[in-house]
Amino acid sequence: MSAPRDLPPADVLLKRAEEMLSELEKGPWPSHVTELRKTRYPLYVYGVGLVARKSPWGPAAVKVEYLNTGVLSRWARDWVPGGGGEVHFRVFHTPGKFLKTDFVRKITKISRELGVGLIELVGQTGALVLNLTPETAEQMVDALREIGTDVGGSGDAIRALNACVGPALCEFALYDTLRWYAEFYKDKRVNDNIVTPSYPYKFKIKFSGCPMDCGRANRADLGFIGVWEGAPEVDQELLRKKVEVGEVDPEKLAADCPSGAITWDKEKKELKIDGTRCRKSMHCIRTAFPAVKPGKNKKIAVVVGGGSKGRFGPKLGWLIGYLSPDQVKDAIDLVFKVIGPWENEAQPKYRLGDYILHVGLDKFIEKAGIKLEGMPTSTAKNPDEVPYAVLPKEVRERFLQFAEQLKGRV
Amino acid sequence: MSSPKAARLQKVFPVDLEKFLPERVLKNYGKWVERRFHGSGIIEHISETGDRIFTVKVGMPPNARVSADTLDRLADVADELGIGAMRVTMAGNLEILTDSLDKAFKIKEAVEKMGFPVGGWGGSLWGINSCTAFLTCTTAVVDSPSITKALGDALAPYFKEQSLPAKLRIFVSGCPAMCAGGTAIDIAIVGQWGAPPRIREDVIGMCLPPPRALAKVQEGQIFLVQVCPTGALTLRREGDKVRLVLVGEKCINCARCKENCDAFDYEPENVGVAILVGGKMSNTGGGARLARVLVPWLPATPPRYEEVVAVVKHIIEVWRQHANPGERMADFIDRIGWTKFLELVGLKEMHEYYQKTPEFARTFLTFRGRGEIYRRLRDVL
Repeated sequence: MSAPRDLPPADVLLKRAEEMLSELEKGPWPSHVTELRKTRYPLYVYGVGLVARKSPWGPAAVKVEYLNTGVLSRWARDWVPGGGGEVHFRVFHTPGKFLKTDFVRKITKISRELGVGLIELVGQTGALVLNLTPETAEQMVDALREIGTDVGGSGDAIRALNACVGPALCEFALYDTLRWYAEFYKDKRVNDNIVTPSYPYKFKIKFSGCPMDCGRANRADLGFIGVWEGAPEVDQELLRKKVEVGEVDPEKLAADCPSGAITWDKEKKELKIDGTRCRKSMHCIRTAFPAVKPGKNKKIAVVVGGGSKGRFGPKLGWLIGYLSPDQVKDAIDLVFKVIGPWENEAQPKYRLGDYILHVGLDKFIEKAGIKLEGMPTSTAKNPDEVPYAVLPKEVRERFLQFAEQLKGRV
Repeated sequence: MSSPKAARLQKVFPVDLEKFLPERVLKNYGKWVERRFHGSGIIEHISETGDRIFTVKVGMPPNARVSADTLDRLADVADELGIGAMRVTMAGNLEILTDSLDKAFKIKEAVEKMGFPVGGWGGSLWGINSCTAFLTCTTAVVDSPSITKALGDALAPYFKEQSLPAKLRIFVSGCPAMCAGGTAIDIAIVGQWGAPPRIREDVIGMCLPPPRALAKVQEGQIFLVQVCPTGALTLRREGDKVRLVLVGEKCINCARCKENCDAFDYEPENVGVAILVGGKMSNTGGGARLARVLVPWLPATPPRYEEVVAVVKHIIEVWRQHANPGERMADFIDRIGWTKFLELVGLKEMHEYYQKTPEFARTFLTFRGRGEIYRRLRDVL
């Protein structure tokens, strides 16, 4: 970005930047500026950006050998007095984002010795971000590889995978999200497409253990969300106990069900859940667990096409079918089936969801050769409200036939 | 033989659960049966083996930025009072793991002494996600970490205590790319250009084919023309020269051009933020949905962002006073209806006016029905 108009002279600018920064250190919420002061991050550049009300950073090109994704570098714009640079690595986070203290100390040691002592605990794709200096980039990659993680996940490639904490700390997990996460990473094809960006745009894969979707899978290009079939399972005996001690109010539980699927039989003291109406909103399960549990027949819903950037704006995913919790290998194959037509046909900077809107979900499923359990026979939800479209001959003929067979009958 | 560095083409993924998960977690992996809450921010996980893990949820600075020194001090706390392990959440909070309630309270005390709040569970503010913006980003138009800081200062009591009807989360993004997590959230704040960007003629050549080629190549093959969703970026022939121009009347300020080429610029006085409400990711209540624009533009004035803070506090207050217990913003708006919600906020007349402006219609028509034509998870479940 070019210099903002009426930018004060360098000394005034830096003074006002400092005032702005100290203002951001006040107040009860922890301050990023206070943290940045403890590092070798060029804080004045950030301050100048705040005064100028423009991002002070422009693109730079720090290269690390055999590292095609995960390195991002910036130079301060020419209007920032004194200049400066900023380089960071996107580092793969640990499974479930657990950090044992010995691992934390290895990371902080690397950050201090080879970086600038600044760590972003979690980026929005779930990466760990470490700032560094260009001179130490080569060493830092090797140091990170030594402690068991690596750099990657930027550009038009498969991005760092994200999974919710799953069975490691959560009783609601319907499948082993962390095992899926690990199996996906171990696959050679996944590795190669994380290493080298070659797609029209980024591709994100996320895993959520239950419909509460803590892994944000509904917003990924390809998301796997644990669900179950039918009604939740009710342990009537245990529930009655919970009702007796006042832990659960069964009438309120039934009334608050967003799907209206629950009835409480006062006489028999039984909770009935209508599986056909249950929309898996987890309300009863969260209220009365473990007396109410997810159903036994566990499945993984596959959603495609979510994302917030893209040609057609922000989107949530669309459901294309189900897998079972042991079908992790099929799920990995599915990744590349899904990517196939998108990689070959999509325009640059089209997310998968944009491409699907372009070709239509049914056509996309056909092109990708996807076959899953519980695939919707027709994916369309609403009729279109615009009375013009390009109509192939066979479509027109079908409507003609429809009218023909009505002739004389009405 | 290629360079030994070529080994980097096989990534070292941190996938070994045995190595990265704490022992107590591994022992109880998949065996959790219950959880209990002990005041705001302390959660007890109970395993069928009888083991317990207590997590203490600690709010982190905006954009989850910590120095190595601070992280080491937090690790010291986890060693002294915990089981030597922490966990980062997607909201950018840090959970410190321990094995007794007593120690959990001590952890709370220790981190609060360091200046970090504990909370973010149940009917409270769960955290504010922020993109990096002016800390590193080249395309951001407002600085989300400082907006997050201003909001955090104003809303800190909501993080520490459970005084809201239900969970509340806020995403703050510096530009329409929405890197803080999009708009599927209770309150989303998104940086706005305000007016169509300006092309920097001196550097736009870097993003285009050389002039001679540009004169020959078909318009549809120019990368920047492909990237623009409305056709606002187009080639114009002037004599024997061909130029890329931006037709302001077609632009919807989506910032896709800026994401892909550095040669687009803006005037700071036009820039502001949009505030969207009523989105969510989870299938609870009425299910996942994207948020709706409540305020299309507000000025973003560092360092305190008074206007943004005032509007967000007002929205929370409307929700707090009118929502049923347990009702998230999205479900609350669902129940009372969007029009009623606008009335409560005091923006009904503003919206009637705003929706009639052709500029608004332009965005709406560009993305009309973009996601509603195919079935979502919720529709099929």
